Amino acid sequence: MNTDNTSTRRSFLKGGALIAAPLAAVAAPSLVKADDELKARLAKLENEAAIRELHQTWLRRINTGAADAAAPLFSFPESGTFDQAVRSIAADHAGQPDMIEIAADGKSAAGQFHCAVELETAIAQDCTLAQMARQQGSGFIRRTERRVLNVEYEKASGAWAIAKMEFAPV
Amino acid sequence: MPGTPYPKEQMHRIAYTKLSEQQIADKLSKVSGPKSASPLSDVFAGKSLRIVTDKGPSLAYTFSRGNRLSVAENGGGAVDAGYGALTLSNVAFFSHMIPGTQHGYAVVIDQGTNLVTVFELWFSGYDDKREVQREIYFGYVDQAGQQAPTARHAPTNRVEGKGFYWKQDAGAETLEFYPSAAYSNFVELSRFGGELSFCGPSDYIKINEDFYIYTRTECEFSGIFTAYVMDLNRIEQVGVRLGFDANDALEYYVFRGKGEWLGQHAQFEKFGDETGSPVPAAAAGQTPAKGARRVYRPFKTMAKMTPAQVDAVCAKHTSAFAPRAISPGANAPVASMAGNLGPSTNWLAGKSFTLRYDHAPAMEYRFDDAENLQWRKEGRDWTKARYQAFESSPGVILFGHLLEGEPNHDGHSIVADFDQGLVTCFNGYLNTPYFANEAGVKIHFGVIEMEGLIPPKYNRHQFTDEMLGRAVSQNYAPGLTSMHLYSTPHSLSWIIFTNADTGGLEWSGPAAYVKIRDGLYFMYWLEEACNGTLGTILVNLHTMRDVGIGYNCGENGLNMNALGAHERLAGQFDIKRFYQVKSSGGVV
Repeated sequence: MNTDNTSTRRSFLKGGALIAAPLAAVAAPSLVKADDELKARLAKLENEAAIRELHQTWLRRINTGAADAAAPLFSFPESGTFDQAVRSIAADHAGQPDMIEIAADGKSAAGQFHCAVELETAIAQDCTLAQMARQQGSGFIRRTERRVLNVEYEKASGAWAIAKMEFAPV
Repeated sequence: MPGTPYPKEQMHRIAYTKLSEQQIADKLSKVSGPKSASPLSDVFAGKSLRIVTDKGPSLAYTFSRGNRLSVAENGGGAVDAGYGALTLSNVAFFSHMIPGTQHGYAVVIDQGTNLVTVFELWFSGYDDKREVQREIYFGYVDQAGQQAPTARHAPTNRVEGKGFYWKQDAGAETLEFYPSAAYSNFVELSRFGGELSFCGPSDYIKINEDFYIYTRTECEFSGIFTAYVMDLNRIEQVGVRLGFDANDALEYYVFRGKGEWLGQHAQFEKFGDETGSPVPAAAAGQTPAKGARRVYRPFKTMAKMTPAQVDAVCAKHTSAFAPRAISPGANAPVASMAGNLGPSTNWLAGKSFTLRYDHAPAMEYRFDDAENLQWRKEGRDWTKARYQAFESSPGVILFGHLLEGEPNHDGHSIVADFDQGLVTCFNGYLNTPYFANEAGVKIHFGVIEMEGLIPPKYNRHQFTDEMLGRAVSQNYAPGLTSMHLYSTPHSLSWIIFTNADTGGLEWSGPAAYVKIRDGLYFMYWLEEACNGTLGTILVNLHTMRDVGIGYNCGENGLNMNALGAHERLAGQFDIKRFYQVKSSGGVV
């Protein structure tokens, strides 16, 4: 029984390594460049993922009525107060896709999110009916508007925070 | 000498004694059990029952002869008490107090399903200690060796929109309307003569498609609690009444009653929505305390001012038809009842005429433009005033203005019918007997004297009963919808819809209805022992719009504002027959 021609995975890898070695030696500068690009791409993806997570956390807190708990997500929590009329924010799937752009230095970013915003406005308490409506837990006007949420982010101490946020009409 | 059915004071004017806890305890100690005008049922005599409730007490009963029972709460020691039981078909109802305490129970048992609704009742649970408190528990009668049923009686809106005439076995007659799933509107025909209707927070519980439980607490009034089971087909009831009357006498009796169906008005919830308890007992995120419910307490919260305070506040701020501010973002008027007001008319601008009232001084007018007029009582000096006018129907103008300089700070809301030459004025005024800032109203009928217009000699606008029993919804603006129920010839109630368009809080006040034309009615309501407002509206049943004028004095001063709503006709109860003039005995 002849076993000399038996091909194994180990032998294939061994042969491959032998063949690749001279190539790696020849292409070292381009591989370094590719590695840098990979690292940069990885960093970009990680930053985008971190910003998406930050955005999702903020959305969860707004949509669960915990707007106060959203303030710490801002660089300056005191600037994290949000329009109290907003009751919920949902992705506007009829709008443009979410966009996150990381600055070249990786220290700031901009996000743009097309949203359907549910707003609640209390009616004035200027008559008996309105007072009664409020007492029973109603007396609010709810409406949904399509908006664009423009957000500026900044990275400090390795973590992303919201620097500025504003709604704009579509 | 013939008597009348009317009380010295109507319910909202009675100064109910603030009974102390000790006074209540003393009165309860003299009672062994509920009275009854009907023979009591011995359906439970000789039996023992163990009632298990969800998140509530377990009650172990042993019933003896002679309307006596022993009850052990939550496995504690048994206590003897008197009770009264009545049955309605398969449903048994009984009530008892726990001797030596201020609490007791009303229990409804469906003997077909063994499902139970328990009302725990107690006094001294609120600032006004006479006001009966209630907590509702759902459960079942424990059957040894059998699994506990999973079904329960449940709060419902299935009673919403119904109305009945009831006559209890002891003679009490009422009209009871259920235009809300959280409140009800009742007319005491025999106790108070039926002039006015009143409102109280209510519970509505479904036993099955035919039998329902209703409760009412007369909050802001005597604090008396009423609960009954009703059979909607046979229109029969069995129930209990517990509380202290206007003379502080304890009323504690079970009753049996029969009724008449008065009608059904529309519901506005989405089809399929049959949920009850539309008004949450506590604010979002808060856990309601035992017995908690939202109760509208207008008397407690209203401003109560003296004549001197009224003069001072009117001098500081008097406003008529102030420009409406625009709410940023919402693009809606801040004056919340003016969202559907519609445009005013300049039809009166440049005109002059005299409104000659039959029993009040004639009023002369010069209209400078669409918002400014001059008025004078005949022979006096001219006074300038702001006004607004609305042409609800061709030739019919509603306009209003304040009468600066009048000692009672009068305001007129006027419907002038230029096709007929007729006028009706609701003359609001302050310095009324109970609270000076509470509006009163005088009604003036008369004619228009104007160049080119010959008024009638005898014809006048007249009071009408055509609106009596009707329910009409009003959407004043997004987020503010109410419904009027014209429940007596002299009062109406208003119901506030929840966000799910279920009837919620409700209150009532004196009212009057004047027919202007077919389908066109001028009416007012007074928010007595409430915010003191005089509301006037001209209801057009052809266009289903109303325009109106509100007149109110409070801590913010004297204000006259325009209001307007889009309406929907919700139905009409058949109640005119209860208000025919009789040779004796008042209504019914």
